[in-house]
Amino acid sequence: MNEKKKIPKTSWKKKDFLGWMIMLPSIILFAFFVWEPLIESVRLSLYTAKGIQTEDFVGFDNYLRVLRHPDFLDALKNTFVYIGWSLVIGFAVPIIIALLITETIHLRSLFRVGVYFPNIIPGLATVMMWGFFFRPGKTGVLNILLSKIGIEGQVWLNNAALTIPLIVIAMTWKSAGSTALIYMAGISGINPELYEAATIDGAGIRQRIRYITLPSVIALAKTLLILQIIAVFQILYEPLVMTNGGPNNASISIMQLVYNYAFRDYKYPMAAALSVMICIVLIILSGIYFKLTTKKED
Amino acid sequence: MKRRTIGLLLCLTLAVGMLSGCKKYDAKSTVDETKPTGEVKQTNTPVPTKEASNPVEEKFQLKLGIWPEDTLTDDIAMHKEFVKTFNEKHPNVEVVPAYYKYSVDTFVPKAESGNLPTIFESWYTEPQKLIAGGFVADITDILQERGWLDTLNPSIRELLSKDGRIYGIPRDGYALGLMMNVELFEEAGLVDENGYPIYPKTWEELAETAKKIKDATGMAGFCLLAKDNAGGWHFSNIAWAFGATFTVDNGDGTFTANVDSAEAIAAMQYIKDLRWKYDVLTPDPINEDWGTGFANLGVGTAAMYIGANDAVNQPTQVNGLPVDKLAMCALPAGPNGAQYSLSGGTPYMFSKDATVEEISAALDYLEIMGKAPVATEEAVAGMKADAQNRVANGVPVIPRFPCWIDQNVLDAEAQIIKDYGNVDTKMFESYFNATKQSGNLRMEEVGSAQDLYAELTKVLQAVVTDKDADVAALMQKADANYQSILDDLYKK
Repeated sequence: MNEKKKIPKTSWKKKDFLGWMIMLPSIILFAFFVWEPLIESVRLSLYTAKGIQTEDFVGFDNYLRVLRHPDFLDALKNTFVYIGWSLVIGFAVPIIIALLITETIHLRSLFRVGVYFPNIIPGLATVMMWGFFFRPGKTGVLNILLSKIGIEGQVWLNNAALTIPLIVIAMTWKSAGSTALIYMAGISGINPELYEAATIDGAGIRQRIRYITLPSVIALAKTLLILQIIAVFQILYEPLVMTNGGPNNASISIMQLVYNYAFRDYKYPMAAALSVMICIVLIILSGIYFKLTTKKED
Repeated sequence: MKRRTIGLLLCLTLAVGMLSGCKKYDAKSTVDETKPTGEVKQTNTPVPTKEASNPVEEKFQLKLGIWPEDTLTDDIAMHKEFVKTFNEKHPNVEVVPAYYKYSVDTFVPKAESGNLPTIFESWYTEPQKLIAGGFVADITDILQERGWLDTLNPSIRELLSKDGRIYGIPRDGYALGLMMNVELFEEAGLVDENGYPIYPKTWEELAETAKKIKDATGMAGFCLLAKDNAGGWHFSNIAWAFGATFTVDNGDGTFTANVDSAEAIAAMQYIKDLRWKYDVLTPDPINEDWGTGFANLGVGTAAMYIGANDAVNQPTQVNGLPVDKLAMCALPAGPNGAQYSLSGGTPYMFSKDATVEEISAALDYLEIMGKAPVATEEAVAGMKADAQNRVANGVPVIPRFPCWIDQNVLDAEAQIIKDYGNVDTKMFESYFNATKQSGNLRMEEVGSAQDLYAELTKVLQAVVTDKDADVAALMQKADANYQSILDDLYKK
């Protein structure tokens, strides 16, 4: 505030007051619904509790218990496997969709709406629908389709090695469209003269993409990459609904562990401890995100 | 300037409006919020109490979380009658229907914000968790005063107690048995000359029976649960028959895990065989839970399923199986003839914020429902109403499990089953005979049963999805995991 020396004191006070008043409702909301619960869960994670009423201070005991729990390593490992697969499967798809649609001449808006369509289906409905697709046995939608062309049915999610990639495919199907829209916006911001010049110089589609489009969206891609990692780190309801973390912990995620502590076992201090750990990781990732985005603005 | 004033005013209005949303509701308006819609509203107003209500007695509300859900119109009609009877004796009590279906997502917020109904039903898994969390009322003294304490079945009492204090009473006792869809047995020709299903007496026979049914009908012979802890819960009962015991009480407040015993491994190998050798399970066991199991049994996509006597409405009323097509037998015996039925009780529990008067009123209401250890005229009328309602909805009227050991009550119940019985008792004979044997009923494992179930469920998931799963290694890992959880819980 003090940096704004150019503005006469009296007037900035008034301006400031109005600003604060405009912010007041959201500050109250933030305080009640974000900051207070955040601080409270840090506090809760350091205590034992009866229900959610804290009892004795135990330091980092809850953290150690969480780290010692047999499911923790599985969940941690899986969370990174989710991130890995989501980058392999999910990262390039929106870029490809965006490129294809921008290169399309006819029916472009139809395709644009089409790829965004899965996004407007409620998340749980999507996940349950894919659950029906991936059902093993004769009643699974994919198996029914495969049987029509004479291919034997698969067990899909029941195959521990395929569980996470299949869940990631379902997630990608749902969210690739919205990310593709962002890329399309980025691509449409590229100066068309560049393309014209390239075309005159005899560049084909492939070269145009390689030398003009991709370099122009690379900064955007970096940002979206970090956002995707942050989002996938918190994956919860997809595995919870599709597999409940199974088979044999093959798809359990860190957030599901939090869910189990809080809602299955009512062990709130443990849930809080794990949440705080997740929070720290996310703060670090967000720090990287901010660094990347500020660089872009420079 | 004017614009700024308007802006300020708008901001203020917004802030004030938002803060007013934080207003604390009084008890009555809270109940209105949780109250089911439509039909139930009518009963929300107290039944007229014109006849000189005692001015000394204070008026209060009894919030019934055990009120039936909206779709069960017959049950609601029955409860309306109960309320009338109740208000004749207690004109000062306003009975408020506050249907609450226990769920782990909503329970704690409701309890902590003081919005729990006076009395509610929970699951058999929950009592110790709810007691530990301090969410439920200690009712020992109230029960003592009523003389109910001594008639409470001791093993069920244990489930609902902590440090000698009691926090709930049983709605029903239960013991696991094997439920059968008789239609599928008939289709597979597995019925005797009188039309009764030829039920399996050992687990080996169950596998063969299941195979015959699968071959003849194409439907699963047996529904195994492997989605959540219910899988481990069922499996523990199967493994007992093979001679396993999963937890050893060391007597000094600590426990030793015994998940990887030869018997337990044999039981798990049996499950693996059900999937890979016999191939008689439903297509996706790792997506089957307590509810889908009953759906499979009820609609006829599985012929056998482990279920308890207090859930006979699930395959029939809920999932449409005709009442005469449900049979139940004792759980099969293991290779050495051992046979157990896991038993427990579905609890009624009481809000920690309920007063002694409110809890007493709730217990009085249970008396009228016929769910209490009294055989008064009203209680018997309540039992009759319940039996009539079951008959009307195609739910088998079979004996309850003796959660109260009061001879008068048992006699009254026996009479009602005689009068209203709507099923052939032979269909349930083996189940009730077995559970009467001494030593047959077995309470769930000590230590930390839910954590044990979680570990067992993971192994179940592995053996039904992986043909090459190494059963012994998986059980050893489960043993180590369970031991580390036990150490964390019981060693400081």
